[in-house]
Amino acid sequence: MSDATVAAKRQGPSWLILPGIVWMALFMVVPIAMICYVSFWTQTTFNISSTPTLASWKQFFSSDTYTGALWTTVRIWLIVLATTFIIGYPTALFVGLFVKSKTLSTVLLVVCVIPFWTSFLIRVLAWRPMLGKEGAINIILLKLHIISQPIEVLLFTELSVIIGMTQIYCVFMVGPIAFMLGRIDRNIIEAARDLGAGFGRIFWKIIFPLSLPGVVVGAIFVSVMGLGEFATSGALSGRKVNLLGNIIVTQVGSLKWAMASVTGVILTVFMGMVIAAFLRIVDLKQEL
Amino acid sequence: MWHCHITAEGRMTTQTAIFRIDGVTKSYGGVKALDSVTLEAGVNEYLSLLGPSGSGKTTLLRVIAGFEVPDSGRVFFQGRDITNLPAHERGIGFVFQNFALFPHLTVRQNIAFGMANGAVLVSSEETAHRTQTIIDMVGLTGMEDRGVDQISGGQRQRVALARTLVMQPKLVLLDEPLGALDANLRGRMRNELRAIRERMGVTFLHVTGSETEALAMGDSVVVLDRGRIIQRGAPDDVYSTPASPDVAHFLNRFNMFEGTLSGGTFTGAFGSVVAAKVTRAPRDVYAIRYDRLRVSPLSASATGPGLKATYIANEYLGSSVMNFFETADGKVVEVEHHLSLGAPETFEPRQDYLLTWAPEQAIVFGREGK
Repeated sequence: MSDATVAAKRQGPSWLILPGIVWMALFMVVPIAMICYVSFWTQTTFNISSTPTLASWKQFFSSDTYTGALWTTVRIWLIVLATTFIIGYPTALFVGLFVKSKTLSTVLLVVCVIPFWTSFLIRVLAWRPMLGKEGAINIILLKLHIISQPIEVLLFTELSVIIGMTQIYCVFMVGPIAFMLGRIDRNIIEAARDLGAGFGRIFWKIIFPLSLPGVVVGAIFVSVMGLGEFATSGALSGRKVNLLGNIIVTQVGSLKWAMASVTGVILTVFMGMVIAAFLRIVDLKQEL
Repeated sequence: MWHCHITAEGRMTTQTAIFRIDGVTKSYGGVKALDSVTLEAGVNEYLSLLGPSGSGKTTLLRVIAGFEVPDSGRVFFQGRDITNLPAHERGIGFVFQNFALFPHLTVRQNIAFGMANGAVLVSSEETAHRTQTIIDMVGLTGMEDRGVDQISGGQRQRVALARTLVMQPKLVLLDEPLGALDANLRGRMRNELRAIRERMGVTFLHVTGSETEALAMGDSVVVLDRGRIIQRGAPDDVYSTPASPDVAHFLNRFNMFEGTLSGGTFTGAFGSVVAAKVTRAPRDVYAIRYDRLRVSPLSASATGPGLKATYIANEYLGSSVMNFFETADGKVVEVEHHLSLGAPETFEPRQDYLLTWAPEQAIVFGREGK
């Protein structure tokens, strides 16, 4: 038997890959090719034709609204990435490493997921009575005499969008990190202690490097969902914060397919670059 | 520096002890893993700690290393009370059963970890020098930049040892470090441990579940059972005069017969035998070492005690043959024949034979003992 046939035998019947290929082709390759194509179509107020033109692309990069949305998206994505990491890592450290019982650690992870038993929209809209001028947070702070005037920047600002997105995506950071931390052999940490390393050293030299694949997976989750976000910004910013996702929604709503496609292509390319950059940090194939 | 104080009786006092634990008790959920254990070891001593799983031997090591805090009792190291000192400030080496190497670091980085990150600052030149010296010593030259998942089990074990020894601890705790190795490597590592100890003057406390390992390696063997030390002595003393039926049982070299001891006579399945010397124990047990039994045909006239048993099978062990017999009450009796004493006799399966022994070679335990 030649090596090729041996390899083929080992991989099993090759037709098993077919459903995957069909699925990816129908729902990923074709749509992406389609939006790339449509982004070069000619758009008039009430009509769209397939005559190729760069007009929509030029319009995107020459308009402050569109480029502004691009930078807002990047800014909010980076802030949310940082806040989910800052809140998520210590949580994961507690759940995955400091909780000794495996059962309790699983229970705590499930608790983190409980908010997802409600719909996305409810979770987002629930922030309104919390953050509003006469919302829960302002009432409590007033009652405690910490503030004398209600804080107005809490709702319908970039801050409220960041708070909402952090809350929703934090668990996607906690999960993978807690998983990686949970896999660390406790003896390794004890061995480091035995060799004279204090907790700080152990954290930076042992625990953090070993949890890095979890951080990368969590960051990819948060990035992919955060970059494509439109609902949270729509519901909590009072239309003041426009992300690329919101641009796509409005353009599609007003049947501006070409512009929506341009925005979609830019968003997709940017996401691709972000994921590629994250995957360069660790070799996931080796770590998982 | 250590001063040896030898008292008038010639016994060394506790001041020469490198470590000493005093009445240490540790319970987990009401179960006592350690029950007021007192133990000490001298400078450059090799102590084997033998006990079945669940006897508390790993807990004992973890208390000494500082990973567990005892419920009561004190731990002393180099004359200092370290009971409440955190593990990373103790300077006691610990080699884990599963080696616990840092998976994301190379062999060299693993070994240098303690010097680069430890409480005592070591210059980078000295770190490099000491790392290379120990790598050469344990025979890992050429492997320095490999990941620890790219080396064999024996090599991983040596990285674990080197990582601990490079810190030059005065006390090294070994938690069944040879358990994960195959027999061949185990033998080689034993020799290496012995050589390292001679070169470096380190006290080793070696926990093992293997009686042969404990007897072979220790200057002194400590037998632990249910959280208590039940015997401590030189390997040959422990082997030839186990202090209790439990010790005899862990040594795995004795046929043990239940019976009753009365007026210096032991009555068991083999009849009544006069016990020359009785070791005090909570129950009456008659123990005969595997290699002290002789097999004779039933017709032979026995001068001493004899036990009728049916031959079942044998096991070839290389230097000896182990023959298995079954007595009338269903007890399996093992008879070891050393091949250096001549070719083994062959026995017919399902045939009855007479097992005999010299009564003075038996060890008798009983409530009547002293």
